[in-house]
Amino acid sequence: MTRLMPLILLLVGGPALASEPTLEQLLDATDDVARGESSEVVIEMQVKTKRYERTMRMHAWSRGEDHSLIKIEAPAKDAGITTLRVEDNIWNYLPKVDRVVKVPAGMMSGSWMGSHFSNDDLVNGSRYNEDYTSKMLAKPGESYGGATTENYVVESIPKPDAPVVWGKVHIEVRPDLIPVRVAYYDEGGDLARTMTFTDIKEMDGVMTPAVMTLTPSGDDGEFTRITYVSLDYDVDIDDSFFTLQALK
Amino acid sequence: MRLLFALAWRNLWRHRRRSLITAAAMSIGVGLCMAMMALTDGMGGTMERVMVDQRLGHVQLHHPDYPGKRVMYDTLPDTIVAEVEGTAGVRATSGRLFGGALVGTSERSTGAQLVGVVAERERDMSQVADRISDGTYLGDTPDKGILVGPGLIDKLGLSVGQQLTMMTQAADGSIGNENYTVQGVFRTGDSAMEKAGIYMHLSDLQELLFLPGQVHEVVALTTEAGTEGALATTLKGQLGGEPAPLVRTWSEADPQTAEMLGMMEGQAAFMLIIVFSVASIGVLNTMLMSVFERTRELGVIKALGMKPRSVVVLILFESVCLGLLACAGGLALGGLLDWYLIAEGIDFADSSGQGISSGGVMFDPVIYGVFETYHVVATVVCVLGVSVFASIWPAWRAARLRPVVAMRTD
Repeated sequence: MTRLMPLILLLVGGPALASEPTLEQLLDATDDVARGESSEVVIEMQVKTKRYERTMRMHAWSRGEDHSLIKIEAPAKDAGITTLRVEDNIWNYLPKVDRVVKVPAGMMSGSWMGSHFSNDDLVNGSRYNEDYTSKMLAKPGESYGGATTENYVVESIPKPDAPVVWGKVHIEVRPDLIPVRVAYYDEGGDLARTMTFTDIKEMDGVMTPAVMTLTPSGDDGEFTRITYVSLDYDVDIDDSFFTLQALK
Repeated sequence: MRLLFALAWRNLWRHRRRSLITAAAMSIGVGLCMAMMALTDGMGGTMERVMVDQRLGHVQLHHPDYPGKRVMYDTLPDTIVAEVEGTAGVRATSGRLFGGALVGTSERSTGAQLVGVVAERERDMSQVADRISDGTYLGDTPDKGILVGPGLIDKLGLSVGQQLTMMTQAADGSIGNENYTVQGVFRTGDSAMEKAGIYMHLSDLQELLFLPGQVHEVVALTTEAGTEGALATTLKGQLGGEPAPLVRTWSEADPQTAEMLGMMEGQAAFMLIIVFSVASIGVLNTMLMSVFERTRELGVIKALGMKPRSVVVLILFESVCLGLLACAGGLALGGLLDWYLIAEGIDFADSSGQGISSGGVMFDPVIYGVFETYHVVATVVCVLGVSVFASIWPAWRAARLRPVVAMRTD
């Protein structure tokens, strides 16, 4: 399951390991992309669809796995729109009308801010090591998808009661525990979307893929790309920061 | 001929009671037929008025890809409305824009279906304006007023005058959001709209969705009934644009409704058939009896020189007289029933006093009869036709009688 929040909060890639990584380590590395105890990031989100292309600049804060706040800074038309997520709930603050609107359960599968991410992606708290049954498909030097791969490839299938919409997920992770690609398959086994991690560089002392691109399958040329402009871990954020009052 | 007719008339009254009973039975049939048809016509008329005139429109225009998929981007320019309005044979026309949004107050929110309309134009095109249960209809100038269905009112705990926030994804990918004021509550019987629907000003919705100058649907009403096919053809030839709009008559756009309304006409015909097959057996019985009884008498007449053809005519005349009698009685009875149905109607209201909701539209609870001349003429023609038809066999029997044999029977 993609979790936009950890993505936005960026992953803490572990240090390169001398010995072969375990399945758990590979999955945790993917889950914990940009996830610190707390973080503050600035991202650019570029959304390209058949109909429009736009880029938004956002400032986001997070604490733990289930508190986050994302504020749009640009373009001017949408500036100030803020999304608050506390556990499974999402609220949007709309400065133009000075209102907070809670996203109801029925609309959680809808697009978040016009991107290819859904509101569900924002809140989903599943972890590969807890909610999926995983097995190693290929190791570096072995063949995967008709070619020799340089990465570890893990297939994860959600457990029956996991809050996940996918049929299976294929995760490719570099030997130094930096994720490369996550392919999401629907319940019919067809590829639904792919997330690729590129532009790996050091951010706040951690090697992190600074660009994440979500590409839905079938829709030619459509994608949502998130680029980390800045990333800081372990920032001091108070609990009261993640409240409806603070939203305004 | 005149003699034969006089003879026939007098023959009829020889068995006064039998003739009257047969005529009375047929009269009741005719009367009830007329009443039922008046009611069916009234219902059909109401249904057509509500479902076609007030919901579907006579002719509909869409982007060719819009029906079925309902993709937000498949729009028509709203300048088409003026073009359609300028076309001969158009009584009224209106453009509509559809959309969805997250709507809510600070406490609660939910998804809603939005319909953007031009308030003034929509008055002629739909029943919304007449079905405001609380508050008022949309004003003529766009002022961010909205009409909300009872479903959303309950779900969000709204009341007239309260503000409602909408948030949706606009056509350019931005987040459309705006506050609106609940101006009225509609109860149109359209279950989908009543559950989660909102009517708002077209320009307000165009702004929210960032679809300036665009509509998803244009509907037109014709000046005369039955000319929608011709209007659709005219519009197809006249309207350009890339892509050219899809022009459909209401029956093409909604074949189910067309079929349902067609069935009502079929029902009337079916009723006629049942009533008159029963009536024809009554006539047949009466005429056969009368011929059997008069075997001897007919034999004498024939022996005196009456031609078989005249005998046939005599029997037919008797039957037609019976039919005329039945018509007179039936028209009197039917006229009385029709008068009541037209003046008073029948009240189908349920206990709540609401109208009847069927097929997504609300009807007036009182259905009034409608006097359709051609249905009454059809009834009368049927009675006389049946009278003639049912007497063919008895007449033929009478004509075939051999005087010698006939006179010997008693």
